[in-house]
Amino acid sequence: MASSSMRQFRAMLRKDIVMELRTKEMLMSMGLYSLLTMVVYFVALSQAGAGFDPRDIAAGLLWLAFIFTSMLGLNRSLVHEKDQGCLEALLLSPVDRPVIFFAKAIGNLIFLLVVEALTIPVFAFLFLQGQSVDVSTVALIPLVLVAGSVGIAGVGTLLATMSVNTTGKDFVLAMLFIPLMYPLLLGAVTATAAAIIGGPEGMSLFWTGMAWVVGYDVIMLLASYGLYEFIVGA
Amino acid sequence: MGDEQRSVNALEVRELTRAFGVRKALDAVSFDLPPRAFLSIFGPNGAGKTTLVKVLTTLLNPTSGSAKVLGLDVVSDAVEMRKRIGLISHNPLLYPDLTAEENLLFFSEMYGIEDPQGRVAELLEAVELDHRKLDLTRTFSRGMLQRLSIARALLHRPEVLFLDEPYSGLDPHAMDILDGLIAQIRDEHTFVMISHDLDKGLELCSHALILARGKIVMFEPREAIDEPVFRETYRSTVGMGVA
Repeated sequence: MASSSMRQFRAMLRKDIVMELRTKEMLMSMGLYSLLTMVVYFVALSQAGAGFDPRDIAAGLLWLAFIFTSMLGLNRSLVHEKDQGCLEALLLSPVDRPVIFFAKAIGNLIFLLVVEALTIPVFAFLFLQGQSVDVSTVALIPLVLVAGSVGIAGVGTLLATMSVNTTGKDFVLAMLFIPLMYPLLLGAVTATAAAIIGGPEGMSLFWTGMAWVVGYDVIMLLASYGLYEFIVGA
Repeated sequence: MGDEQRSVNALEVRELTRAFGVRKALDAVSFDLPPRAFLSIFGPNGAGKTTLVKVLTTLLNPTSGSAKVLGLDVVSDAVEMRKRIGLISHNPLLYPDLTAEENLLFFSEMYGIEDPQGRVAELLEAVELDHRKLDLTRTFSRGMLQRLSIARALLHRPEVLFLDEPYSGLDPHAMDILDGLIAQIRDEHTFVMISHDLDKGLELCSHALILARGKIVMFEPREAIDEPVFRETYRSTVGMGVA
């Protein structure tokens, strides 16, 4: 990345972080939503029978919460830019479109990771307390979280940019985002579940899931990078 | 400045068409504008005025045809062109959760301005907002936002300034400041202004263009304009509706 692009990238990222620290709109709404989702899951599953093992579905519950939570933040991150025509001002400046894409995506990634870091302890307390888990493999969960969140933030930023000018943008984003998240969800849930259960077979499944997630990230980020300029000029 | 540079038209628009689905917001628009001219664009709502400015400022890609600003193509030379144009819109194009100073410093970084602190201080003083530089712009009145928006647009000393209904919603003081700033830089810059105010537009312009249903109805240099005929032509387009 050229030095001017790097300077612009840093300025955009700093601007997003300063604005978020000032308003806390995204972090508050995403954080509360994610925590409430965990509580709702817990209450809904509290009546399950004695044979029910929460570890069987814990990974799925966790990633569903993150997918829905991220949609809330993605919409808000672009709405900030649409307020008073700020996105136009940004697009008018001599910044390569991919720099804007990466700055917005990295900003969204940071906020999503903060929310995930707050949610994980609550998740562990509600669903894994007293369960037999392999501590050595559970320590690998942050790897899946980072890899999965990269895909969510990258694809989500592209789709949020597409949907922000549409009427019913929340609905449009959901209709585009959820189907595209399916392959990522598959890999991330596989890897997370394997990390929770552990064991030699679990490790193999973990790396298969991780390979799926990383492959998804590479393909979708390249596609998003290539499409972003076309989408903002369309 | 070499002779070749001097002779480059500020705008060269050829058969420019921009469609949204089947509707053509701009339909084969062609015209040239010499350097340091002031073009006022008039037309009814939905005539294609804002679409024309969006294409000329690289915010929208044309569907067909071509447009050059300062000899640079709006599609292939977009990044280079953006360094040399500015836009003042009826929208302030400012972040409400940043202070006035932070907004200008942020856009200074986007344009790679040398001595951003000095330039920002100079412009804040020019638009009489230096005493509010540390306040969030969400606390600003409409007039103050528009004054700050003028400072943002002038940060990088653009050669062509696009004004999309810049006087809309301004109080008389803010209008005077905008008039003063335009007068200061009038001789060295090219201006393209969208306006619904015929008197203001004709007072400022060196060229005037009437657009209706995405097509040029009239394009004349100021000295060739027969004002009663121009006003009558404009009035006749107002009922023509959307392109």
